[in-house]
Amino acid sequence: MNLGLGDGLHSCVQCGLCLPHCPTWRVTGDESFSPRGRIALMRAVQEGGAPVTDDVADSWDTCVLCRGCETACPSGVPFGELMEQTRDTLAAAGRITPLWERAALRCLAHPGLLRAGTRVAAVAQRVGLVPRRLGLPRLPLRPEPMRASGSDVWLFTGCVMDAWQRDVHLATQRVLEAAGYGVRPTGDRAPCCGALHRHAGLVGETRSLAERMVEALSGDAPVLVDSAGCGAAIESYGRLLGTPEAEALSARTYDVQEWLAANLERLPRIEADARLHERVAVQDPCHLRHVQRAHQATRVVLAPYVDELVELDDEGLCCGAGGAYSMLHPDLAGAVRERKLAAIGRAAPDVVASANPGCSMHLAAAGVRVAHPMSLVWEALSATR
Amino acid sequence: MGSVPAPDDALVSELRSILGPDGLRVDSAERALVARDASVFDRGRSGPVCFPRSADQVRAVVLAAVRHGRAVVPRGAGTGLAGGAVPLGAPVVVALTRMNRILEVDVGARVAWVEPGVVNLDLTRHLRPLGFHFAPDPSSQQACTIGGNVANNSGGPHCLAYGVTTSHVLAVEVVLPDGEVALLGGLDPEPVGYDLRGAFVGGEGTLGIATRIAVRITPDPKAVRTLLLAFDSTVDAAETVGAVIAAGIVPAALEVMDRRITEAVERYVHAGYPTDAAAVLLAEVDGAPGEVGTGAERIADIGRAHGAVSVRVAADDTERAALWKGRKTAFGAVAQIAPNYYLHDTVVPRHALAEVLEEVYAIAARHDLVVVNVFHAGDGNLHPLLVFDRREPGIMERVLAAGSEIVSASLAAGGALSGEHGIGVEKRDYMPLMFGPDDLDHQNRLRRAFDPDCRANPGKVLPVGHSCADIQALERVPTGVWG
Amino acid sequence: MTGRSAGAPGSAGSVAGAGVDREVAAWAEEVGSDGPVAAVGSRTRWGLGGRLASGTRLVSAPVGVVEHRPEEMTVRVRAGTPVAELHAELAASGQRSALPERGGTVGGALAVGESDLCALGRGPVRDAVLQVRYVSADGRVVTGGGPTVKNVSGYDLPRLLVGSLGTIGLIAEVLLRTQPVPAVGTWLTSLGVDPWAAREVLYRPAAILWDGTSVWARIEGHPDDVAAERSALGRLGRWEVVEGPPPLPVERWSLPPGELRTRPAAECGPGWIAEVGVGVVHAARSQPPRPVPAAVAELHRRVKHGFDPAGRLAPGRSVLAGAPGAGPVGGGR
Repeated sequence: MNLGLGDGLHSCVQCGLCLPHCPTWRVTGDESFSPRGRIALMRAVQEGGAPVTDDVADSWDTCVLCRGCETACPSGVPFGELMEQTRDTLAAAGRITPLWERAALRCLAHPGLLRAGTRVAAVAQRVGLVPRRLGLPRLPLRPEPMRASGSDVWLFTGCVMDAWQRDVHLATQRVLEAAGYGVRPTGDRAPCCGALHRHAGLVGETRSLAERMVEALSGDAPVLVDSAGCGAAIESYGRLLGTPEAEALSARTYDVQEWLAANLERLPRIEADARLHERVAVQDPCHLRHVQRAHQATRVVLAPYVDELVELDDEGLCCGAGGAYSMLHPDLAGAVRERKLAAIGRAAPDVVASANPGCSMHLAAAGVRVAHPMSLVWEALSATR
Repeated sequence: MGSVPAPDDALVSELRSILGPDGLRVDSAERALVARDASVFDRGRSGPVCFPRSADQVRAVVLAAVRHGRAVVPRGAGTGLAGGAVPLGAPVVVALTRMNRILEVDVGARVAWVEPGVVNLDLTRHLRPLGFHFAPDPSSQQACTIGGNVANNSGGPHCLAYGVTTSHVLAVEVVLPDGEVALLGGLDPEPVGYDLRGAFVGGEGTLGIATRIAVRITPDPKAVRTLLLAFDSTVDAAETVGAVIAAGIVPAALEVMDRRITEAVERYVHAGYPTDAAAVLLAEVDGAPGEVGTGAERIADIGRAHGAVSVRVAADDTERAALWKGRKTAFGAVAQIAPNYYLHDTVVPRHALAEVLEEVYAIAARHDLVVVNVFHAGDGNLHPLLVFDRREPGIMERVLAAGSEIVSASLAAGGALSGEHGIGVEKRDYMPLMFGPDDLDHQNRLRRAFDPDCRANPGKVLPVGHSCADIQALERVPTGVWG
Repeated sequence: MTGRSAGAPGSAGSVAGAGVDREVAAWAEEVGSDGPVAAVGSRTRWGLGGRLASGTRLVSAPVGVVEHRPEEMTVRVRAGTPVAELHAELAASGQRSALPERGGTVGGALAVGESDLCALGRGPVRDAVLQVRYVSADGRVVTGGGPTVKNVSGYDLPRLLVGSLGTIGLIAEVLLRTQPVPAVGTWLTSLGVDPWAAREVLYRPAAILWDGTSVWARIEGHPDDVAAERSALGRLGRWEVVEGPPPLPVERWSLPPGELRTRPAAECGPGWIAEVGVGVVHAARSQPPRPVPAAVAELHRRVKHGFDPAGRLAPGRSVLAGAPGAGPVGGGR
């Protein structure tokens, strides 16, 4: 089968240095669940004419797309691109992403539908019908509306996060306002970034969502994102669509921590004793660390507002959330999370700061106290006001 | 990819009952993947792939293989560069990656018990808060397993001062090729009997499978100084190395990289490696503050006297780590030059380094090949990487011919065939260049004492005609055996 | 360099097997291929492994330092050379080896495999041998290991030979790793200091000895570092500079270093001196034979049989002599 893979396939020298940075290899010890193995299978299929057996498809389908292997790779193998392209081909051939999954993903682009569903879930939650292990945050029955306070920056609100974690967006908006920015939430005009569609190999949907974003968010204002996964997706629009407008949007999209770290002097200072009396462990979402490579900013922004920042000792290994991954591959995701939980246990923080909604829900489902960095900063700032 | 076993295959059902459904894979995709390691050798054939979680399971797997007349090949992370873990003749592959627990750390006695699948760097990370580390630090240490280190007697940059793996392994619990379990060596300094531990380390999986390893842990040095010296010629760098050792300094590491590899590395790590120098020498001294200070100064002086155009001392741990990350990922970084590489890791006496290096460049030029050099200069351990694109017709023959000439040049200079990567299958047939028939015969006797029936990783280390090494036969799958 | 003359007898085309010198070749002739034979050095540890069968012919290995290359930190030496003589020659270049200087020969020290009193700092004897040339049971010269400081080509015959008591091959010549003699070195002693506390504060001591009450420490290195180590020790108690280690009782125990706190006092009898961090205990009483599991004993039998099928090398002597469970390991007679 021609997977449509380009020269990037040949930049892998099989050294295997990626293995320990791959969450699925870490928990299986199995070459099929490693980046090197996945690339070797791509070669075998595209060039050696090997059949795409269920085992081969499973090898590719179980990749979290955390892209931890990319930062570990001295050869610069564009693993994310290879895997996305492979999944596009497989999805087009109907080998991955079943119809129910496609239908669910389609809902993400319909805010009304998503809100209605969320209200149903919120009610169900209150009568005890939603198991805690799913990790859903406490859903609001009537979410506080978001209102524009100016037009200095866009705040990308997205789909699921807006429906389920509106409080994080509100905190982010208030922190930005405290720094003197007029904030315009993107809201329904740009309902979804398409990151999950991309993971699922639905390249057509991804493109149309991206085009809709590019059109809706025209102008020069920076687009700030408080979801690492969405930020990484928008930053890849240039490559995905190849238009000057898309390139421009990608170029002015920033993770909100990254933006604030570069403008730290605009944030109000607080006294040392007004800091949050918490020991905060920073969990680096993969798409912040390995794709946007902006994870240090989280520390820079948090440091003035909390008593103590601690590092996890797992070198940024994925937590297993991976967008919808934790729902599609619960066993692997759970095993991967165990490693993260152990690392959190060793760091013994009061709270874990995560700049990605998927990670925070996945970890919260295991009983970890998780907060978005912006929520923590706002908590500290609002207490001194 | 080979055929898939019948669902009622007796060996497969036995293995499945030992390992559970989750612990065995027989599908063609998986078997194709474990038929490779990090070397270019691609004629491996794997049988069932086992993922034991305990020594008991390893033993049961070996006994099942014995009953069915199948050979057994252990595998760690598959980062070997000589094809040591490549299965020949569709044997049972035993992947030890799930036996990855650090069982016990005794700081007082300076020993840690680990399972073979523990990743080398994970052990050091685990020891870091205690002020200790595991000294062998092969460049693949972020990925390679300690079981693999034992099999290969792995080295690494810091083995110049600290010694290779065998100096850091106190005891090994081994499942022998006949399924017997033996503890070789011991925590006491002079265990009774032959040093079978010493014989086992570096056995490349042909003497049995390690299931539990006691390693020595080393206190972190009190002081470290890392220097980066740039030279206008590789020869100057090599001569500096000889002069440093001759001056009675034993640095922790002395590493040389030539310009091409330095450029590739710098593009990946951005550590500030000078990309305009013909060669850089990365030198590290560690230990007590006094010796470190003096050692660093003397190395800088010796370097300047041998034409170093710049000498930079790493200012802090971050800078030091960045420099080392560059050195340790160098092999991977060559993909920026070409997608394949082939290398030998011969050792030459230090006094012959400069001369052999020039010969290496000349050999590559004669074969119209690109060669980059990145090597453990302090112990004379060369790593000339011939980089190429194997899709180019006829190039593999040129690469192999050049490789062979490099081996001959190194041995003619009084060197050794492999400093740390091992012999595996790739260098097996060079063994007669280094050893005479009687020498090989005695190595064979050692192997056969452990493995009289040639069941453990056949086809490795010893050349054809000696032991369990008939590659022609092994490349075909035995009749009646799926694979 | 001797190792470079190609085409030497017995091993056409190979490099490591080449360059067997005339004395070694002559010794191989002397050993021959028939009749019981054993190598004899200075007989400092002659009784180890049991009494030789009567009628065993004794042969002495050739003598002399073949080549010392200070810049390679290696020395090629014939096995009959006294260790003291070797060290005297190395000292001229500011080097030494890890072999113990106890009045014996190089070959004897290696065949016995007991490390130096300063093994904590200098490493065990088994790590000192890079290449070994030995005469096999059939009278041939066999080379194991490699000519360079680092080598993993093939199986590790040098380590197998170290401590083999001459039962699988007669060591004729070795290439040893050398090490620089430290700039400064001193022995210190103290009464009542906890030896583990001393071990804790010292970075790389060459030796720490303990007899249950007194501690002796050997510290070596750069003058500044030795001074720093001395003051670190000073914080533990009063130390006095002494000429050397205390006289050692003749028997040698091998215990896990983690068990030294209690076992010597309980088991080794009066007058013991323990090497802290190493595990060797010097005592008047001998160590009871250590049990050997059946699988390990069987491996020993196969090794011995593989290297000496007729059992002509040091008959009567066994590396497992007296070990419970070992059974006969010595060869066929």
